[in-house]
Amino acid sequence: MPPVSEQSSDADLLRAIAAGQTAALRLLHHRHAGWLRARLRRRCADPDVVDAAIQDTFVAVWKDAQRYEEERADAAAWLWTIAVRRLVSALRGPAHRWLSSLSGELPDVGTTPSAEELVLLGVEHGALGPALDRLSPELRHLIEATALDGLTVREAAKLLGIPEGTAKTRLMRARSRLRELLT
Amino acid sequence: MSEWHLDPELFEQYEQGVLNPSRVMAVEAHMSACATCRGRVPVDITWLTGNWSIVFDNIHAPQAGPVQRLLTRVGLPEHRFRLLTATPALRWSWLIATLSVVVLAVIAASLSAVGETGGASRLFLVLAPVLPVVAVSGAYGSGIDPMHEITGTTPSAGPALVLWRAISVIGAATALAGVAGLLLPGPGWYAAAWLLPALLLCTGTLALATAWSLQAAAAALGGLWLTGVSWVLGVRSEVFIPLVFGPIAQFVYLAAAAAAVAVLIRRRRHFDLGESR
Amino acid sequence: MTTVTVQGVSKHYGSLTALDGVDLEIGVGVTGLLGPNGAGKSTLLRCLATALGPDSGSIRVRGLDPAVPAQRTEVRRRIGYLPQNPGLYPNFTAYDLLDYVAVLKEVTDTRQRRAEVRRVLDEVELTDRAKTKVRKLSGGMRQRLGLAQALLGDPELLILDEPTVGLDPEQRMLFRALISRIGECRTVLLSTHQTEDVGALCERVVVMSGGRVVFEGSPRELAGVADGQVWLSESPPQGNTAYWRNADGLYRTVGQQPDGAEATRPSIEDGYLMLLGRAAIAEVVR
Repeated sequence: MPPVSEQSSDADLLRAIAAGQTAALRLLHHRHAGWLRARLRRRCADPDVVDAAIQDTFVAVWKDAQRYEEERADAAAWLWTIAVRRLVSALRGPAHRWLSSLSGELPDVGTTPSAEELVLLGVEHGALGPALDRLSPELRHLIEATALDGLTVREAAKLLGIPEGTAKTRLMRARSRLRELLT
Repeated sequence: MSEWHLDPELFEQYEQGVLNPSRVMAVEAHMSACATCRGRVPVDITWLTGNWSIVFDNIHAPQAGPVQRLLTRVGLPEHRFRLLTATPALRWSWLIATLSVVVLAVIAASLSAVGETGGASRLFLVLAPVLPVVAVSGAYGSGIDPMHEITGTTPSAGPALVLWRAISVIGAATALAGVAGLLLPGPGWYAAAWLLPALLLCTGTLALATAWSLQAAAAALGGLWLTGVSWVLGVRSEVFIPLVFGPIAQFVYLAAAAAAVAVLIRRRRHFDLGESR
Repeated sequence: MTTVTVQGVSKHYGSLTALDGVDLEIGVGVTGLLGPNGAGKSTLLRCLATALGPDSGSIRVRGLDPAVPAQRTEVRRRIGYLPQNPGLYPNFTAYDLLDYVAVLKEVTDTRQRRAEVRRVLDEVELTDRAKTKVRKLSGGMRQRLGLAQALLGDPELLILDEPTVGLDPEQRMLFRALISRIGECRTVLLSTHQTEDVGALCERVVVMSGGRVVFEGSPRELAGVADGQVWLSESPPQGNTAYWRNADGLYRTVGQQPDGAEATRPSIEDGYLMLLGRAAIAEVVR
């Protein structure tokens, strides 16, 4: 295992972390904690909960870094899905801890949203933007939680505090409404 | 990947929450995809180091296990627990020695479990009380603890430290011998008969250590016990068990142990710390 | 300001005299204790570290007397000690070892102790090795870990016995930088038999020989002891004089002027050799 530096890629850092290098975890933390914090704060007003979610994220990465698969997900997206799940479980209180341990410590890389997909969605400058703005908040939140945050419908339901069935129907309604608005 | 990048102004608006929903989603989608923009997110360095130090502590500091949580509930502070658990970890050799003696006794007892006065059971009763004492004398000290010079010059060095370490080692050795006692054939009370003699030998050793070195005290009392018991075995073999482990004898052990504790408390300042001062 | 005062301290091991009436005053900054093997350096440091009681004489650390049991504990709260053979438990991780010593140094609050362990790991640049077992650390790292445990509790007085021994030149440089940084606001007393250590990091130097203090002053003053007594010549000097060849191929003599030799500026080592005389010269040349 070669020594890691500021220039190492995320994937290299994660491999070094799996080999037990604290220095690699520090570099990864310093590289990603900032934007994770900014993004998590949009979802939770309590800074302590956000900070704890970030800490939990990197402790989880330390324990389970070998589960990261470079071919299947981008490291940043993977970190984000861990972080947002940690936030969800913290927000729902200890009684809802099962949410984060639903499928082991870390989410499967398969469920992380692919960055390309999001760009293809065209939220940056396509017609989707205005369409999203016109969507009712409760429908938009579901699109956000599933497409952007990479949560499952079940987790999204927990995050938004609604029954899973309701979340499913709302998501379907949101998708057809978007199609309507785009045509 | 894309030509478009977040400018600081847009990011500031994002942080303040004044963007409309689709712009928020655009910023977030872009952040997921673009390492350059992630790197440009302004970070408070004090916050970053603070957050990292908690991650660091979490992955390095020993985590509280069930035993520690139980002991904390009964009022044992975390730092005492560290001290108690670090002590046996210092010297695995005595633990292995104790364990092998105990295992040998059990095996011997099982092999020759013919009568309740089986020789092996007797052997166990004779040896078990000495085990914790041997463990104490071999667990640390100037010649045994490699870090003795550092330990001996910390403010904790002194009678209290010797006692805490002794308690930790006696506890571990007693637990081991206790398990072995339960596995022994013979009347049930055999399993506990050695406990009071062991208590006497431990407290006696610690009391004597206020005058001599711990090792010398342990050797003297352990030797005294073994010689005395062997002598009784030689001359009064037929009444050996009732004589040495009967109710009267047990009461005498308890009284003597209490006396030893009294001496220990009175003379605690004279503990020999194995220091060369 | 004086941190340590030593007055008439003697220590005997049977018929062997390790310390013979030592008088010293040590203040803030880095003080080097220089002397050949058996000069009594370690014995003096062990007395100051409260590991050993002197036979006679008195020691005061910030006015406290380590001979009095109650004050001894107070002294121990103010010192950090790195013995010559620290004997760090090989099966402990760097973190666990420091955590354990921090408990012994009465940092009882868990959160405070974690912060303290993190601080000293950072100070000796071992943060990334916190999870490594002591036996897997290199010699230089182990020495830094030994220094880290001495730094726990932020002691006013650091006592380091031969801290640079067994280090390769690069590690030695790093270690010197570390010690001089630490010595900016603390009292550091270190023993060495390397004059380069003294020149590189000590503000004051104490030379010991045969259990006595034979010199006390700045490194420059130590070099000054040999003023006008160091000579360079192109051919080996005649007579019963100790000399050695330096890097330029010249013969360097300390003492009487050999024929045809020119005087040169003395180094710290020259001063040290002058002080200790032939016995020491023999040891160094060997």
